[in-house]
Amino acid sequence: MIATRRRFRFDPYVQFMKKSMAREATYRFNIFTSLGSFAVRVYLLRTVWVALYAHNAAPRGLSLGAIVTYSTVALLLGLVLDIDQTRALHDRLHDGSIATDFMKPINVPLFFFADGTGEVLFHALLMVPALAIALLFVHITVPPAGVLAAFALSFLLGYFVGFFLNFILNLTAFWTLEISAIQLITTWLTDFLGGQIVPLVLFPVALQGAVYALPFAAMFSTPLLIYIGVIPPARYLESMAVQAAWVIVLAAISTVMWRAGSRRIVVQGG
Amino acid sequence: MPIIETDHLRKVFRSIKREPGLGGAVAALFSREYEEKVAVEDVSFSLEPGEIVGYIGPNGAGKSTTIKMLTGILVPTSGSIRVAGLVPHERRQQNAENIGVVFGQRSQLYWDLPLRESFELLRSIYDIPRARYEENLRTFSDMLDLERFMGTPVRQLSLGERMRGDFAGAMLHDPKIVFLDEPTIGLDVIAKEAIREFICEVNRERGTTVILTTHDLADVERLASRIILIDTGTVIYDGPLERLREEYGTHRTLVITLFEPEADLQVDGAVVESQEGNVVRLRFDRRVTSAEVLVRRVMDRYRITDLAIAEPEIESIVRRLYLEGYRSSSPAAPA
Repeated sequence: MIATRRRFRFDPYVQFMKKSMAREATYRFNIFTSLGSFAVRVYLLRTVWVALYAHNAAPRGLSLGAIVTYSTVALLLGLVLDIDQTRALHDRLHDGSIATDFMKPINVPLFFFADGTGEVLFHALLMVPALAIALLFVHITVPPAGVLAAFALSFLLGYFVGFFLNFILNLTAFWTLEISAIQLITTWLTDFLGGQIVPLVLFPVALQGAVYALPFAAMFSTPLLIYIGVIPPARYLESMAVQAAWVIVLAAISTVMWRAGSRRIVVQGG
Repeated sequence: MPIIETDHLRKVFRSIKREPGLGGAVAALFSREYEEKVAVEDVSFSLEPGEIVGYIGPNGAGKSTTIKMLTGILVPTSGSIRVAGLVPHERRQQNAENIGVVFGQRSQLYWDLPLRESFELLRSIYDIPRARYEENLRTFSDMLDLERFMGTPVRQLSLGERMRGDFAGAMLHDPKIVFLDEPTIGLDVIAKEAIREFICEVNRERGTTVILTTHDLADVERLASRIILIDTGTVIYDGPLERLREEYGTHRTLVITLFEPEADLQVDGAVVESQEGNVVRLRFDRRVTSAEVLVRRVMDRYRITDLAIAEPEIESIVRRLYLEGYRSSSPAAPA
């Protein structure tokens, strides 16, 4: 019998994505709490910055308006970037159902990607009502269209950095099964060292070199600094090249880890 | 031409050697010492299309490991496999299109989705032509009575419903071969019968080859014409069920409960196996003494309140095989 190569079809992955979006939409309580906590954080951060600026004139040249815009947009991005989107991998390794995924005619990592993308797209839709809520408390400056376009592109690159970081995190479950501690640390690192809470430009100068060298900055900080104009158009190419480099490095690490991890399953039986 | 062929299949798991206790766990982090565990020692068999085979053996015998190699998710250490002409672990995805899998302990369906949407997803995964899909769905829905809970998310289904859903899901793409792992575990008698009927019918109507792994030997008795017995990774018997019955099913046990204690109970044609209080187990050779004759002899001599044949015949045979191993054309044990 001559075995012909399978033809790759996108359809199953599009379906996975759609089903995952539909699934997210059914967790209504989750949607409300997520929007609620977003509103609270926008309000609190604005209050904190206003109070700090009352005693301190614009540090490192950032005006109050710029920093409020920065932290609000950061929280909006967080709605998407903070999602543990490849959690399904960890769950399915934990309960052993990963074996049934391998018994289907699908590309398993692509399945997890599609599943996560559906979840992310749904939460991306939430950015619209979230923005509306935010505008009740704060004023956001909107940059010119060219800057917005660069910001969008940089955000997309940041999204892929976030995806692979998250995938790597969940891939460690191949070896440890229990990842909640690593997860906690990673969330804290991405939010803090990524510049979601405090812009990295406000970090002590001695630390800045180090934090910019980490992949977390490529997730949040780069698109946000483009948005508020701290990164000027002349440095777009350089900044996004760094982001793209992180995407490539993290994708390579993920691939190696996936190969080694799935090899553990096929050789060791999980 | 056989649809499944394995030749001296062997699978050895290698793991880091670990001493017991916390210290051992820490030491294992730095250890380079490995220990090997042979899960499958030497398994060769070949299956013709349309066969239903009971693949049975005690826990840890190597059943699941064999099935995982046949489905392509485990790579054999040595030996060869062909499933519908393919080497499963080299063509995992292509092999997956030829097979269907049902695990009694684990659902293949998508937990958050209604059954109907789970099926739709499977249609897309296996690229089943729309007309074929609709037809199969209608047939299975009738056979398994799925219509009532088609819109229910899988997580909310009862075990019986979920299993019926799983069976339909595994058969939608007309697999040539299905692997069933403990398909009736935990089900009530009615659900068990529905599932067995479904397997029979699918095999008869579509010529699907079935490999059935189970501890419920009633499944095997009802469905399989051939059994492959595996123990400590080696095939110890491969052949028709009847031959096992002829060679090993010579002895049965009659359990009686006496009305009053009897110190020295004796019945012609049977040996007292054990006696606990009023409960006596009598072992007899059914070729010499029929159960009917034995019961009559017992009742002639003693007053009893209850009697039963100890367990289904096949179970006692298999239990003996697990304990003693199989010797072909074994002489009948003296009564």
